[in-house]
Amino acid sequence: MTASPKVYYERQDVLRADEPPPGVYPYTRGIRARARGGWIQRGLSGEGDPRHSNAQLKALIANGQTGIDVIGDSPTMALLDPDHPLAAHAVGAQGVSLCCIDDYRELLEGLPLGALSVSSSVPAPFFLAGLVLVARERGIDLAELRGSVLQAPFYAEDCGYEMQMPFGLRLRLACDSIAYSATHLPKYHCFLEDTYFFSEVGLTPVEEMALGFVEIRHVVRELLARGLEIDRFAPRIALLVNCSMSLLREVAKIRASRRLFAQMMRDEFDAKDPRSLAVVIASHTSGRSLTAQQPVNNVVRGALQAMALVMAGVQAIEISAFDEAYRIPSAEAHLVGLRTQQILELETDVAETLDPLGGSFLIEHMTDELEREIRELVASIERRGDPGALCDAGFFSRMFADAMIRSDRDLSSGRKKQVGVNVHRVAPEDDRLLREVVESRGHAWRDRIERTTQRKRDRPAGVLDSALHALDAAASDRTCNLMPPIIDAMARGVTVGEIANALRAAYGACFAGSPRPPR
Amino acid sequence: MTQLRVVIGLLGLDQHEIGARIVAALLRDAGVEVIYAGKFNTPEGLVNVSLQEGADIIGISAHSWEYLDGIPILLALLRQAELVTPVVVGGSVITPTDRQTLLCWGVADVFGPETESSTIVARIRALRAA
Repeated sequence: MTASPKVYYERQDVLRADEPPPGVYPYTRGIRARARGGWIQRGLSGEGDPRHSNAQLKALIANGQTGIDVIGDSPTMALLDPDHPLAAHAVGAQGVSLCCIDDYRELLEGLPLGALSVSSSVPAPFFLAGLVLVARERGIDLAELRGSVLQAPFYAEDCGYEMQMPFGLRLRLACDSIAYSATHLPKYHCFLEDTYFFSEVGLTPVEEMALGFVEIRHVVRELLARGLEIDRFAPRIALLVNCSMSLLREVAKIRASRRLFAQMMRDEFDAKDPRSLAVVIASHTSGRSLTAQQPVNNVVRGALQAMALVMAGVQAIEISAFDEAYRIPSAEAHLVGLRTQQILELETDVAETLDPLGGSFLIEHMTDELEREIRELVASIERRGDPGALCDAGFFSRMFADAMIRSDRDLSSGRKKQVGVNVHRVAPEDDRLLREVVESRGHAWRDRIERTTQRKRDRPAGVLDSALHALDAAASDRTCNLMPPIIDAMARGVTVGEIANALRAAYGACFAGSPRPPR
Repeated sequence: MTQLRVVIGLLGLDQHEIGARIVAALLRDAGVEVIYAGKFNTPEGLVNVSLQEGADIIGISAHSWEYLDGIPILLALLRQAELVTPVVVGGSVITPTDRQTLLCWGVADVFGPETESSTIVARIRALRAA
């Protein structure tokens, strides 16, 4: 457990010799040696149907956003079609509904795919398949595609992205999509280790990064066991980390993570390519740190966290919007987040110098301390046995449950202070500023349900059967990469829900409440 | 008096489970028996669980807007089955306007982001006494 900080730090608190400069192994101070031309600035986007979301993305780009990050609605994230019985009230309500190739065409229409960084938290194999198909249709070289998709085989089911797929299938889909991407999309970060979403249950920074490294290490070992060379895929691993209000600790965490990653890749996995050692880090400011009470205060929280991230030298930033407690970002909240980043870049001097906090007794001390604690926790988890078996046995699930309870008690006991929540409160009737914006509502896009059933009806006979047969055959052969049959099925108009159900069935699973897939 | 039994669940595809888990733990610590129905419930499913378990109260955790569609169905099903089991709803997405709407529909109590832990326990206990 991290000790409480001292009143002040001195030279003798820094045990290691001077850290090499930015751009030099172990990259603690940053992965690049030259001052950057900014970082990728984006906000979480997607709402309603793909056309509506396309307009939203274009508006953000017109306002200066330099990358996009697309989130699916809850059926899309769970790999269910809009016509699934559980999806009825959720279609398009809190993310974009994406269930087939037409949807990806509409979502990405008119966007400069070769030049724009395209990221998404939609389950990786499916977003990748949609992106690849649209790029091919538009004659864009896949080798030019940039952006990221996240891989979360260990923690997705426990922390809000449940797809009801067994661990073996989740791990295989992760490895298959990473291997596919390494060959066909060499600039695309197909292995974004997202520690953000699971740390939001209330993990400490040490727990967050330790679980992230456990997952990276397991997936890397799996890919190596398949015969892939480390330097073929390691340059495309990136981290997406959380940034809480412990601003200095977060800066130290990011510095420690770059160092740990470089050491791990070089010393344990024998990577040689410098790009395999220097890990790209993106970050979202913590949604959990935002409050439903006095929502305007969230603008301040986002600005402070983003400033810490700029000083930590990350490659991409998303500010969780001030209406986070109530909804996916409104247009107003999107713009405030984007303008905050632009102010940091253009008006302040925090981005002028790389690693401006480097050399601070506190930051250097904390970086070393976090590095040691993360390393120890990774080792202690791996000593318990195969991490895949631990996942299946619910080890991580219990860790998340404990963290939820622990962080809630910290707040309710007042041990942790949150302005407007357990200190400096105002009466609800006086809490009016920005109320109208945060309480505005999206709605379910129910016409998507009919449109989906219509599409399924209109498909030529036999398309579904032959595509599902190919998927089933590929799924039964564990040496086969599932990406080509997934891409092929989507190209032929098979939906994401149908593909996912076929894969679940091949692994003996079924989404709760689903009709059995046709066989 | 027998132990109070509360069913806690989420409706539809709402996957934000933290609030439900925290309230479940809170109630268990207070000696309440919690039947945790978890995620992916239909209103029909929750009514069945509460019937089978002889629940005194049904608690819905709401962190997506689906509850606004699911709760009226749940309440109608309870009325059809001639059950008077009180339904309570909690969650950060519930606005003051939603609160009034829910109470009008016949929801017994609503807990928003401002509700203290001790208040939640006390008000749930009071519902059975009522």
